[in-house]
Amino acid sequence: MTFSEYVVSRWDTLSLAAVEHALVVALAIAIATAVGVGVGLLTYERPKARGASLTVSAGILTIPSLALLTLLIPITGLGWGSTLIALTAYAFLPIIRNTVTGLSGVDAATVEAGRGMGMGAVRLLLRLRLPLAWPLILTGVRISAQMLIGIAAIAAYVDGPGLGSQIFEGLSRLGSVNSLNATLAGTLGIVIIAVLFDAFFSAVRHLTTPRGLRVRP
Amino acid sequence: MFDRDPEGVRIELRALTKHYPGQPAPAVDNVNLVIPAGELVVFVGPSGCGKTTTMKMINRLVEPTSGEIRIGGQDVLSLHPDELRRHIGYAIQQVGLFPHQTVGQNIALVPKLLGWPADRIAARVEELLALVHLDPAMFRDRYPRQLSGGQQQRVGVARALAADPPVMLMDEPFGATDPITREHLQNEFVKLQKQLRKTIIFVTHDFEEAIKLGDRIAVLKDRSHIAQYDTPANILANPADDYVAGFIGQDATLKRLALLRVADVPQEEARPGRELPRIAADATLREALDLMVAHGTDRCGTPSGVLTYATLCAAVGSSAVAREEVVAGDR
Amino acid sequence: MTAETLTVGKPRNPVRASGLRHLITPAAILIALTALYAWVGTLELDSIEQRSLNAAVILAKTVEHLRMTVIATALVVIIAIPLGIVASRAKNRLVTPLILTAGNLGQAVPCIGLLVLATFVLGVGFQTALVGLVAYAVLPVLRNTMVGLQQIDPALIEAARGMGMTKGQILRRVELKLAVPTILAGLRTALVLTVGVATLGAFVAAGGLGELIINGLKLNRLPVTIVGGVLTACIAFFIDWLGGLAENLLKPRGM
Repeated sequence: MTFSEYVVSRWDTLSLAAVEHALVVALAIAIATAVGVGVGLLTYERPKARGASLTVSAGILTIPSLALLTLLIPITGLGWGSTLIALTAYAFLPIIRNTVTGLSGVDAATVEAGRGMGMGAVRLLLRLRLPLAWPLILTGVRISAQMLIGIAAIAAYVDGPGLGSQIFEGLSRLGSVNSLNATLAGTLGIVIIAVLFDAFFSAVRHLTTPRGLRVRP
Repeated sequence: MFDRDPEGVRIELRALTKHYPGQPAPAVDNVNLVIPAGELVVFVGPSGCGKTTTMKMINRLVEPTSGEIRIGGQDVLSLHPDELRRHIGYAIQQVGLFPHQTVGQNIALVPKLLGWPADRIAARVEELLALVHLDPAMFRDRYPRQLSGGQQQRVGVARALAADPPVMLMDEPFGATDPITREHLQNEFVKLQKQLRKTIIFVTHDFEEAIKLGDRIAVLKDRSHIAQYDTPANILANPADDYVAGFIGQDATLKRLALLRVADVPQEEARPGRELPRIAADATLREALDLMVAHGTDRCGTPSGVLTYATLCAAVGSSAVAREEVVAGDR
Repeated sequence: MTAETLTVGKPRNPVRASGLRHLITPAAILIALTALYAWVGTLELDSIEQRSLNAAVILAKTVEHLRMTVIATALVVIIAIPLGIVASRAKNRLVTPLILTAGNLGQAVPCIGLLVLATFVLGVGFQTALVGLVAYAVLPVLRNTMVGLQQIDPALIEAARGMGMTKGQILRRVELKLAVPTILAGLRTALVLTVGVATLGAFVAAGGLGELIINGLKLNRLPVTIVGGVLTACIAFFIDWLGGLAENLLKPRGM
């Protein structure tokens, strides 16, 4: 069976796995963005809390994914739950780091000008810091998403959803006819998802970055 | 609030002190100063002398440790800081334009905070851009990054003037521009202030700028102690102490001449001969002196008569040097 | 560009001078390992578990794991840093964004997919795992080398040229020295990544601690899996800690 025949014959399974793969990554990213940007907002002005949140999220990222996924089994079992938790945990560092860097990186003179004109703390955050930090925050989310798409492949080993199952199927039937086809389908499918996510974030970035930040002198 | 009238109001600082916790000495120590309505007062002093801190206490970007600030008789410390700042114009060296907003939106910021109706804001933006010599049609919808340094400074001044505040605080607003642009902006600003008569506190470390712009100058030393507070002419003529004299530098007399215009001093009523160099009525006496030296003469023609070297000397109060000597030396 | 380099590992905030802070990580690792040992001690291990959970096997697997990690990283250094230098010299303006984009998307290529695909060419075993690991870890180091070299203030390079230094001298004495923190950060990231990815080596019969994890799952013996997982995590933290120390020691004075 050629690769294209394989893809056609397994189209239903493959497309379902791809959708699940994208879905679990999207969910994890959504949760991690909500929490991570929140943590960034709460900690960017408090050096100790900021340091702590970055250390913890960097620590999580240090744990090998196969180890984290397996260590979650006794707590959240096999499947979606463990996958979602592990993926979300891995996504924090880029998001928190870029949020904090973006918010505190806003030019001090610009903030002072805003304060000098009588803008209060909330207004400064919503009207000045967030719009200016937004491109950087979005970049953090984008990097996290790319990372999670790759990690999610391993989740299939703990019965998680997604295209990783194809790769592990290929592995378990090493030597059989469809072994290479399955592995290739899984790997290429994941790369395609990554490209689509990247295109999505490019579009969002283009549509939501304030024009004043895009213009060139 | 104090801004019923956009014309300047009087500012009083009484025993104003800022002591940062953990510091052995206060950064600003017991400053007492009255700034008359509609005057431009320059705080001049070396970096780190507390001049900026003193200024920032007036709009409470720095909260005073003790003391009193009154603007137009109203106690500033009893007001809400954000509300207060919306009624005081503020311009700084780095300008601090919001990069994600257009020039128009930047200028409209404070009027919006104050809840002006949209059409009034739009009209005001046009008016201000014209006031700082930027064509509204061309610049209103540009972004700060598309402007040159000098243009950004102009927008910064326009933004500070947006809600027509009676009081303006300016912290080296022309400091980051090249000398030619700075000179140009200073000249425009002098004209603008003649028209607006705001009460302005202007911080700089450049004494030349202080002389050029200030109605009065407060020369500050460490911890914002006032070494001398007077008009530029008086400070140049009678520096209070060595510190002030040191700040003025070696050419105090030349600086004084630069403060006076040809039209301000008496002239010999005679038709100037064709051989005499000519000078305009609104030129400074320093320029007149320059002209005389350059032409090796002791007199020059003005629209209303003849200006002599002796007049220059008299204008700065020096006992006139024997005129003959100079003439003899020249010829 | 700064934003994109952030997560690949910017030099982290230097650990403050106090010696105690340096000891927090090893102390935590020691505590985790002691707790693991004590916990396993309380379990009644059946014969299957005993076959995996004994000193000889654990030591052997750990050594295999470290060997895989160290050799892969050494190969990455040999490949990626010279390549990064060459790429940063490239006159062609397309090279940089191309490598940066590849670096971003490369993160999404599932390493397990690479490993399994490699077996179709090389068969199972140690070399296969090495190929997969190197392919995975080359990009962050390559990228940080390029970024580190390119973010140097052009005025410094101009000053060096003005003093009559040759291109080679500028590269060795100025650019590489200044890029050291960024390159080291990339290497540290790659090392930690490799420790994790090396667990997948077990899938292609290259051994390592991943074998404990996988066997535990296959045989439904959770303690074996947990021991494998905790040990891998501890090694990752330890190597990250070592990397942090090295960054502090090797970065040029005055930075």
